[in-house]
Amino acid sequence: MQRNGKKATDLQIAICGSAGDGTIAAGDMVKRAMARAGYKVIAFDVYPPEIRGFGKCISRVRVTSEQVFSLKPKSDVLISLDDSHAIPHVGEVKDYGAVIYEDMPVTMVPEGGHISGHLLSSHLPYGVPFRELSERVTSSARSRNIAVVGYLAGLYGMPRDVFYAVISDKFKTKPAVLTKMSIQTFDAAFEVGENTFRLDEGVLKPPPKKAKHGELVMMSGNGAIAKGCMDAGLDTFFGYPITPATTIMERLAVDLPKQGKRMLQTEDEISAISAAIGAGYTGARAATATSGPGFALMSEMMGLGTMAEVPVVIFVSQRGGPSTGMPTKTEQSDLNIAVFGAAGDGQRIVLAPTNVEGCYKCAGKAFEIAERYQTPVVVLLDLYLSNRYEAVALPAKNPFAANCSKPVGKLGKDQPYHRYALTRDFISPRAIPGDKGRRHAVTGLEHDENGRPNDHTHEMMSRKRHEKLHSVVRYPGITMSKRFGDKGKVDVAIIGWGSTFGEILEAMIIARDEGIRCAAMKVVLLSPLPMEPINALLADAAEVLVPELNYEGQFANLLTGTTGRAVTRLNRVPGTPMHVEDIVDEIRRLAAKKKGRKALAAE
Amino acid sequence: MSTHSHFVIIGSGGAGSEAALIIRKRDPKCTITQITGSKLPFISRYELPRVFDGVDNWRDLLAHPPEFYDDNAITVRRNSWVDHVDAKNKKVLLRHKEEVSYDKLLVASGGGGYLPEGLREFRPLMNGLGSYEDAVKMRQALPSKGHVIMLGGDMTGLDLARTLVAVGHKVTLVAGEQLFWPHEVEEKKEKKFVTVLEAMGVKVVLGKKVMAIRKGAKGEPARRVVFDDGGGINGDAVMPFCGLMPALDFMIGANVDIERGLLVNPELKTTNDSIWAAGDVCQIWSPEENSYLFYYGWHHIKEMGEIAAINMTGGKKKISTYQDDHLYINKQGDIDSPYWMYR
Ligand SMILES: Cc1cc2nc3c(=O)[nH]c(=O)nc-3n(C[C@H](O)[C@H](O)[C@H](O)COP(=O)(O)OP(=O)(O)OC[C@H]3O[C@@H](n4cnc5c(N)ncnc54)[C@H](O)[C@@H]3O)c2cc1C
Repeated sequence: MQRNGKKATDLQIAICGSAGDGTIAAGDMVKRAMARAGYKVIAFDVYPPEIRGFGKCISRVRVTSEQVFSLKPKSDVLISLDDSHAIPHVGEVKDYGAVIYEDMPVTMVPEGGHISGHLLSSHLPYGVPFRELSERVTSSARSRNIAVVGYLAGLYGMPRDVFYAVISDKFKTKPAVLTKMSIQTFDAAFEVGENTFRLDEGVLKPPPKKAKHGELVMMSGNGAIAKGCMDAGLDTFFGYPITPATTIMERLAVDLPKQGKRMLQTEDEISAISAAIGAGYTGARAATATSGPGFALMSEMMGLGTMAEVPVVIFVSQRGGPSTGMPTKTEQSDLNIAVFGAAGDGQRIVLAPTNVEGCYKCAGKAFEIAERYQTPVVVLLDLYLSNRYEAVALPAKNPFAANCSKPVGKLGKDQPYHRYALTRDFISPRAIPGDKGRRHAVTGLEHDENGRPNDHTHEMMSRKRHEKLHSVVRYPGITMSKRFGDKGKVDVAIIGWGSTFGEILEAMIIARDEGIRCAAMKVVLLSPLPMEPINALLADAAEVLVPELNYEGQFANLLTGTTGRAVTRLNRVPGTPMHVEDIVDEIRRLAAKKKGRKALAAE
Repeated sequence: MSTHSHFVIIGSGGAGSEAALIIRKRDPKCTITQITGSKLPFISRYELPRVFDGVDNWRDLLAHPPEFYDDNAITVRRNSWVDHVDAKNKKVLLRHKEEVSYDKLLVASGGGGYLPEGLREFRPLMNGLGSYEDAVKMRQALPSKGHVIMLGGDMTGLDLARTLVAVGHKVTLVAGEQLFWPHEVEEKKEKKFVTVLEAMGVKVVLGKKVMAIRKGAKGEPARRVVFDDGGGINGDAVMPFCGLMPALDFMIGANVDIERGLLVNPELKTTNDSIWAAGDVCQIWSPEENSYLFYYGWHHIKEMGEIAAINMTGGKKKISTYQDDHLYINKQGDIDSPYWMYR
């Protein structure tokens, strides 16, 4: 990363090991410490493909002085805690980057099994006796991951105090001796790192400014979802475990009981959504979280939520599909099912945050919106966003409002309460069971204003259910879409959604630095689409590019279907985030195409 | 010739690197693995003095860009030390507990600076110049117009001395037995060469024995060299240049003959049919001298690498064991040597 001609801090570290090596914990310490030190941090962990067992874990942490929006395709540093897992990742270390590894294994290594034999000619090797270092201090190799962190910190001159704080935090519920020994291991390895002659080209300058502790919080996307739920006053949560959504449930299982509230693990996803809708019906703020296969099971009950006009929030973290697909790989292929996937004309509200802070906002606002519009709200995440960590600045004041239902108001004497009353904005005043004098029925059958089954109202009620959603584009306190980059006419507009928007933004910045006039738009509200800003951007753009991680171009289809504008699709399904370079290449190609057309016209 | 043999080369200095390239040219299908303790791809050690002459990035010193090794399908295992060679099973054991099998092995492990016994205990207070890292550390230890005290005075040290003087440092040479090594200079000629050396800007101290090296007192330069007569000199760094010691500990027990170096015939084969040696590590049989001799210097090193490679890949070439390298005074009136003709 260049700023004013000088290299600014931009160090991406990948730690690779086996489940049980403390790989993710090591990455966690690095990201938390760096955020404390005041750097911008973005991180992404990858767990074993098998849910159980000792598979591969990788923790990637990008530390920068300026805000960035995605991980880099190549890391500056690869640390191996298990060579058998790390060897296939050697190629993702950039030229003149560092590979750090154990050089004193306890047992013989099979021929070709040591990572030193797999480095590219441009890599810089750092062999360190981590096991020995850990054993020397703690008489056990278990703190090898802390030795790794200490060495890394020493090698790149990271501030020690922030690591002490993070280690103390990590072991605060354990006997004090554990903290002490961990810090000793850290220090011993730090000294080795500090005295190592550094030959690689990774850049870590002193932090931009010393952050006050607590100002920035390291959070994963799922962590931010859980925090958003809690801050929005979630009353109850029903769920069934599924990667990559499970950690939302796990977090809430800890946090809800602290407020005297309940999380219930149901027997399957159908029960989870049914229970959540049941709770919503009673006036509780209720939610569930799942992934593609679970979401498919929920679609019938989603229809009930729409028809009965019951608020409920469903967090869907996408993974590679269809079917069981690739449980630990990321993808954006559940857009169709989120927007369209239910029987009948069942339009619903779909939000898709693009970063971790967005996860927090969307989670909390989803409850307000579900209540306000009395309908299911789907918050669409994906594995990359769920597991990605970023340093988030949380608002000092809770930004979410309690009870956003349209109040019933005073009814005249003998005036009956109509649960599905037709109003100017198509939103009916909402009562909940038990409200005195507001007795009503809800049903999945088509009904009249009173909730009584009635086929003749279908046209009118269908209109009500659709029309009431339109004003959500202007719902306050949440960004439904946002344009970045050049204003006015542009050669290329890039429109994206979900986690891929980070890569889109990075690509747009690179393209603009190259002199290409371009703008990028993130669309957070995927249903109903915010047509005004989208149409304005399309009108400004000579070429429109839609990069997304699905094979069909689901968002591109949605855009073309609603605007009639042809777009260029960039679809990838590698199971990993989109490469910034791929997007940049496509922007360059489209910009050149536009230039070519201009030249032809001039001739 | 084309085989699917695995050629393993220990060392990525001049000899090993030249050998790898020639083997590849002669045998396009074989596998070549170079194993080296060095962290960096091949940097000629002769180039290290340039670190004091403004070269700031190791990439500027590389003999070949990193792609060169990929293009020639040469795997260089860096930061890997050989601990032992199991000649019977044709395996090389690396310090990190990995065995590497070979069909043919070339030992080109060079040598480290020799340190006379009396100086060994002072090693932590001295700076070496075996690697790029050493050179940078040394440069960092030197203030501008710093004072370097050199001990011994072999040709490697004198090469550095002339660079240091040229960039404004002061060099004092406490001459030892190894003055002008590996050249053997007659006593009467030595005086003349010393005078020229002084004219080149190197202060030469003759006839003093070093008894100790100490840290400098507060406010004084960082080091003090103490002589047997109680006197001494202060300087910012002390560097020993007392000749070379072949690096071959790992060959002990490998069933090959060793004297000071690995003994090889003029075809550079050791007493084991699958093992060759080249460079500073080997002592070559000279029928003219009827003894095993070391052949130092850039042109010898390169030639040894080439000949070993030719013979390992089925050729038959002997090295010329006639030595005619001598010290002389060049047109500019400076000391010069075939040993320095590498640039
Ligand atoms: C500062 C300096 C200046 C010099 N100047 C000159 C000069 O001007 N002219 C001149 O002719 N000569 C000069 N020399 C000497 C010259 O460098 C050597 O003669 C030459 O480098 C020898 O080449 P080599 O390939 O035999 O060994 P080296 O270049 O020493 O290479 C040996 C290799 O073996 C590796 N190695 C050693 N032991 C092991 C092990 N156990 N396991 C794995 N790898 C191992 C090392 O890491 C290294 O890669 C100079 C030397 C130095 C240090």
